Amino acid sequence: MDVVVDNVSQVWAGRHGTSVVALDHFSHRFRSRRFTCLLGPSGCGKSTLIQIVGGLEQATSGSIRIVDPERPGAGRPLGVDSVMMWQNLNLFPWRSVIDNVAFGLEMAGVRRAERYDKARALIASVGLRGFELHLPGQLSGGMRQRVALARALIMERPILLMDEPFAALDAQTKIVMQEELLRIFDATRKTVLFVTHAIEEAILLGDEVVVMTARPGRIKEIIAVDLPRPRSLEMVNSPQFGALFDRVFHLIREEVMKTMEQQAAAASA
Amino acid sequence: MPSTTHRIARFAETVLPTASVVLFLVGWETFVRLGEIAPIYLPAPSSIAVYLVRMVADGSMIINLGITLLRIVVGFLLASVFGVLLGVLMGMSRILARVADIWIAALYPLPKISLIPLLIIWLGTGEAYKILISAVTAFFPVVISTYAGIQRADRGLIKAAKDLGANARQIQFKVVIPSAVPSIFAGLQLGMGVTIILVVAAEMIGGSSEGGMGYLLINAGQVMETEKVFASLIVLAVMGAVIIKLQQWADRKLAPWASLEHGR
Repeated sequence: MDVVVDNVSQVWAGRHGTSVVALDHFSHRFRSRRFTCLLGPSGCGKSTLIQIVGGLEQATSGSIRIVDPERPGAGRPLGVDSVMMWQNLNLFPWRSVIDNVAFGLEMAGVRRAERYDKARALIASVGLRGFELHLPGQLSGGMRQRVALARALIMERPILLMDEPFAALDAQTKIVMQEELLRIFDATRKTVLFVTHAIEEAILLGDEVVVMTARPGRIKEIIAVDLPRPRSLEMVNSPQFGALFDRVFHLIREEVMKTMEQQAAAASA
Repeated sequence: MPSTTHRIARFAETVLPTASVVLFLVGWETFVRLGEIAPIYLPAPSSIAVYLVRMVADGSMIINLGITLLRIVVGFLLASVFGVLLGVLMGMSRILARVADIWIAALYPLPKISLIPLLIIWLGTGEAYKILISAVTAFFPVVISTYAGIQRADRGLIKAAKDLGANARQIQFKVVIPSAVPSIFAGLQLGMGVTIILVVAAEMIGGSSEGGMGYLLINAGQVMETEKVFASLIVLAVMGAVIIKLQQWADRKLAPWASLEHGR
């Protein structure tokens, strides 16, 4: 499934009748079965964008189409082909691991035995066998990430939207989860939209890095990452990786500086 | 290696609470005996204990305690069912919330105990009055906490459920109401506290011979059987503590997740 974003703007109403432009005429075609990272400073509207793609926020203007490249005529409604993995995970604290993972199937009316079978298989595949009946609050941060990942994957939707899912993890756990995600991507080849503000993560995971400007969020530059797959963490040390990192780093640095100037101006005003 | 001062502190922490109670009782007993205080004013702990045992043995304590407990349970259940129901409905209907809000704002601050004369006029001093006064009082904290819990439902969880294909009804029953459970339990605990107070108060004011701990207290007081007054107070205090602890235990059993941090 391609995600065709056409001229999408998002304007939030601020206090005292002011308004904040989060996204400014954003257009991009996210290609099927490709891993695209959205990279930008805080507040550039990248989280907003994937929520709009997921049908969870309404854009102020512009349109989004989900297009099957094999049947380019028929557009599909937003939300039915995608599933989100959230920055703060949004696991249901009163539900056990298995009931969290099976939530989507339960909502769809799938019988208990059937949805538990599927959920058990997925829980095992993310390495949480034996924790089916634990509550999210009894798990470590990394384990909760796996639950959230399994809960998204069980939906078997072709588009995976990820909103800085690993931002809150410690460095070691983050590495493990990145490897896990690379493995899953190689196995399933979903269309992934991955929001992050970590340059290294964007290059390591993505086929393409969309670098965004500070508020208002526009596309600053699109960097193709031609590192071979399957990827591994050792690639971080390759000269090719280093060159990409430098390029992205300078783009991002400009934007961060701009944000800081904006904030300084706003503070002194 | 734990230092000596540390060990003394640990010892003091475990022993002092009990020791303070024992010391208090011994002091009380000595004061009454040496001062030759009339038992009408202040009976010695030992004679209170004798009365307590006697009242348990002749069944008067057990029967009155049972009657009071029954009234508490009925009053609390009425308040819980209607309070939670209205709170949830208010969370689902903005119009109902607006209408109910006026009534709650007007009636909540009113000391419910001031309704006792009116209720006695309408209902007499029988069971209906005692149960209604306690249920009405407990109803308010329950409905307010329930509604607050529903309103504070996590937007992120609602969005996540929507993303996973939940419809509006499923979001209400599978996300919004469960997420209000800690708040509902807090309301039920407040409700239980006031139910106990109002049942005993109603039993004292009713003045009829229908029994209950409040009746036992007021009767013993009127004939200056101060030992019986103290014995009843002790039983009431223990009853309250046991009910509250039981409720906290049930809450932890029913919703263990509510006490876990970082639930999401």
